[in-house]
Amino acid sequence: MSKRTRHYLHAILAIALASAATAGANAQNQKAKEINEKEVTGADSIRSLHEVTVTVKQPVRTIATSQTLSGADLQALSTTSVADALKYFAGVQIKDYGGMGGLKTINVRSLGAQHVGVYIDGIRISNAQNGTVDLGKFSLSSMESVSLFNANKLDYCQSASEYASGATVYLQTKRPTNDSISIQLRNGSFSTWMAKMNAQFNWKGWQGFIDGEYNTSKGNYPFRYHSEYEDTVGRRTNSDIRYGRVEAALFKGGFSSHIYYYDSERGCPGGIVRRLSDKYTNIGREWDRDFFAQASYQDRFFDKLLFKVNAKYANEYLRYNTKYPENQNTAKVDNHYRQQDAYAAICAAYMPWSWLSISSSYDFRYSLLRADLKRFDDVERVDQKVVLATQLNWKGIQVAASALHQRYIDWTFANAGAADPLYKWTPSVSLAYTYRGLTARGWYKEIFRVPTLNDLYYTQVGNRNLKPEYTKQFNLGLEYHWSKKQWAVDMQADIYQNKVENRIVCLPLKGTYTWSMMNYGETFCRGLNATLKGHYSKQQWHFSLLSSFTWQRDVDRTDPEDGEVYDKPICYSPTFSTGITGIAAWRSLQFTTSYLYVGERMWSMADPEDILEPYHNIDMKLSYTHNIRKASVGLCLEVCDVLDMQYEHLPRYPMPGRNYKLTLTFGI
Amino acid sequence: MKKHLTFLVMLAMHIYNNVCAQEKIIILNEGLWQSDNGRISYFEDGKVVSNQWFRDKNGYKLGDTPNDIIQVNDNLIAIDVNWSNIIQFIRPDGTAVAATEGVPNNRKMCTDGKYVYVSSYGHECETANGMVYFEKGFVAKIDINSFKVVATCEVGYEPEGIALYKGHLFIANSGGYSGVGEDHDYETTVSIVDASTLTLKKNVDTGIPNLYGKMSQSGRYLCINSPGDYFEIPACGIIFDCEKALNGEDCFVVFDYPATYNTTTLDGKFLAIGSGFSFMTGGYEFSYLTIDPKTMMETHGESGIEHTLPGTMMDDIMGMTQPYGIYVNPYTGYMYATDAGYYTGSGDLYQWSPEGTLLGTHKLYINPGHFLALPPSGHMTGIETVTHAPGSSPSFIYDLQGRRYDNESQLKSGTIYIKDGRKMLFNSQP
Repeated sequence: MSKRTRHYLHAILAIALASAATAGANAQNQKAKEINEKEVTGADSIRSLHEVTVTVKQPVRTIATSQTLSGADLQALSTTSVADALKYFAGVQIKDYGGMGGLKTINVRSLGAQHVGVYIDGIRISNAQNGTVDLGKFSLSSMESVSLFNANKLDYCQSASEYASGATVYLQTKRPTNDSISIQLRNGSFSTWMAKMNAQFNWKGWQGFIDGEYNTSKGNYPFRYHSEYEDTVGRRTNSDIRYGRVEAALFKGGFSSHIYYYDSERGCPGGIVRRLSDKYTNIGREWDRDFFAQASYQDRFFDKLLFKVNAKYANEYLRYNTKYPENQNTAKVDNHYRQQDAYAAICAAYMPWSWLSISSSYDFRYSLLRADLKRFDDVERVDQKVVLATQLNWKGIQVAASALHQRYIDWTFANAGAADPLYKWTPSVSLAYTYRGLTARGWYKEIFRVPTLNDLYYTQVGNRNLKPEYTKQFNLGLEYHWSKKQWAVDMQADIYQNKVENRIVCLPLKGTYTWSMMNYGETFCRGLNATLKGHYSKQQWHFSLLSSFTWQRDVDRTDPEDGEVYDKPICYSPTFSTGITGIAAWRSLQFTTSYLYVGERMWSMADPEDILEPYHNIDMKLSYTHNIRKASVGLCLEVCDVLDMQYEHLPRYPMPGRNYKLTLTFGI
Repeated sequence: MKKHLTFLVMLAMHIYNNVCAQEKIIILNEGLWQSDNGRISYFEDGKVVSNQWFRDKNGYKLGDTPNDIIQVNDNLIAIDVNWSNIIQFIRPDGTAVAATEGVPNNRKMCTDGKYVYVSSYGHECETANGMVYFEKGFVAKIDINSFKVVATCEVGYEPEGIALYKGHLFIANSGGYSGVGEDHDYETTVSIVDASTLTLKKNVDTGIPNLYGKMSQSGRYLCINSPGDYFEIPACGIIFDCEKALNGEDCFVVFDYPATYNTTTLDGKFLAIGSGFSFMTGGYEFSYLTIDPKTMMETHGESGIEHTLPGTMMDDIMGMTQPYGIYVNPYTGYMYATDAGYYTGSGDLYQWSPEGTLLGTHKLYINPGHFLALPPSGHMTGIETVTHAPGSSPSFIYDLQGRRYDNESQLKSGTIYIKDGRKMLFNSQP
């Protein structure tokens, strides 16, 4: 135990002892807080409905395969970014280049990161340039819940974009229920410092918050590679990050709006390879400036017509620079990319009877990409979507069907000009039957991901002849809910099968020295996802158990003649993974332990030795909040990777081992 | 008794012939970039002995993206490990001798038996006399007694292929980083550098951009590839005459086919697999060439190219997923090519007889592309006995048995000799 850690523990003990004396007074507060939290759960719908007297009965969600972390459970996890929370979901694989600033993307049921749509309050965070969202950029502190839907969310009134990805992650922004200001300060391992401020209000039906954060970390964590052929120890270099994030949201009834700004500079560390010294580090650095403003309004007319409009503007800037003397191995470039995105959607749902809804939505998105690359030219894309959907909910029988039409048109003079326009219909259908808390469901969804602007036009790599990457998913599942006074149990299990055709991959060109994007390969995946959640509360005690299990076999189905690869597991896909989280709370003292296991994964097909070893990750979090009248002081100690496991998501990109975070919170 | 003795002698000879390997090929598997999995395969007489030969022999890994391998003398082989910034020296049995980090972003090598000359895309070099910095790329001269860089010479941007002829280095400049965004254009020149003083003599402008990839040598001739600019300028190949270049005469002919992967045959010709690609059309053009450089130079490119490879080699290569290298064993004439497949699986080695009959395919590791044949057992390179520094006269010629020849009139055309520490195929020239 390091000296610093010992100090932290001493501090916690001291505070814990001191606070025991005043614990009685806190009990009342805690009770109130619990009630508040209960209200907050699902408050987005309940609250807003009251305000505008929209009394929509939300569809029974069990028809969709979904997992949600919300409220107290979400805050109890030892997580700071959205990516950290999602790794506890069944069927999710995290791709993380390690380090503090490493890109974090998720892959759901092996469809590929670009098939995962990420939505904030129902509006997609888009990146036409590369199609993925770095989840490390989104903080949990302003989120009420994080949900994963494997096909469609299936609200009565949702935009066409929400039907357009293979899996959807919904981030639900917090709607404040009271006025408060809080300040958080954090010190963590590897010279990590963070300061955060949150101010929120709830005034005459208007709710809103401003949340700001500044974080800096050297990220110079130690790593070790120990095998038959090496014993490498070192510290990660060029792994630092500094970022600032400011966001604000305003809500009133059916109106919601959100404004977001993120500014960061980070090092992009490379793989750990054999070197004789630390002289050359292949340094590359990245700067990001992301801004978006979005608003949404939903209302109900004549009791039978639901109506929603969404609008968003996003502006993203990225600079990548390799002009450093430590970098002798790559071209020295300093490139700037600017992307703008304007989006609008209109949705309407008609419910002639309480058991039937028919809805339609039209989405329009305009994207403009500019970059100072050689031989590159502005690229413009217009993306339009129309969806027709219906839902039926009658005596426990639920049926949902939708047909989505997408239309993409690009304009550019880059390379050989724009790709041909793309038009396509894709269907999805879901069926479920519920009997006494037990739901049986089945669904099928076809969807594709359109080649991104990078895939099509990026200098020296882009290929305008790419076809969309097509997925077909089939799912059968059971879900059961049970609750009794102090107990609540939720469990679900789904078996699934999916197929990805025309995968878009970057391959070296046949017999030349350049790489290019190509449609190559087909994969077939079968799996089982299961989750079990239990809650127990008695007086001032509260216990939660959250667990998820994934078993899947994801195989290559490209070329039957290639015996070495055909029907063999594809790289980076573990057969088994599981996450178990236990939360125990007494009054305002809370202890969380999370365990994550990811089985072994191949990283090349050439040698059985080319595997990433399985890893076990145990995170622990202890927090205590002390209330003094209206003010509160909180202290939280987190220990991540308690076992100091050395592991990787990508070969030679080591993840940090054991690390600590100590957070102090003041609130009024 | 006599009968028995004869039998024993015959048995001993039989065993000797079987034990003494004739085909000994070292192949570099580049591995996957930044995965630290560059590996050496060792192939001997129809069998892959190991696909992790370096690890087996040394207990540690070679590094990331090995890019070239040459034999320096009977006891020394040099391997440049590009992304690791290492030049690794090994003995012919695979055991490591030394490694140097002085030349970052190293590309290709040649040797005179005393020094190793390395081309580099980097902009700095650690020499015995301190750090040296360059605006463009450079060539470094490594002394194999100290394994340190003793001299450097700046050439063009991103210098690639390097060859030694009559005491001069011929370096093909690519300027390849132009294609990925650097502020200069593609290079079109071949730099000629005096090997003894390591000073730039002159640049020969070929007018062809991006002289990139493997460059083979047959005596005075070089076979240089240009992938073009991948847009308007198509890929092509160049036959370069070092002798004429030194004499200041017109010294190269350009032909319309790329020589993406190329090698030298026992009779002094070049074999090449070419693949041209243009982003404008998204189309490939493949070519399979046997090039007679002498005829090419004499006829100014009018003739000297045949669109074929020996035996079934062309058909076999056309059936590959991704050809990644071609090689002829300079001692035996056996021919090899590799198929990298789809890059995440293991590559394949194809072996042909000197006549072009496919003898077999063998599993290697990821992205196998660079070859070195070791002399058959009992044969020496003869390089150890080279006493004269390159460029100084007289430069003696040795055959593979180590016999010394004082002048070229004693040599047989189409046979391998060692001159200035460099293997060469002798052609009786006019």
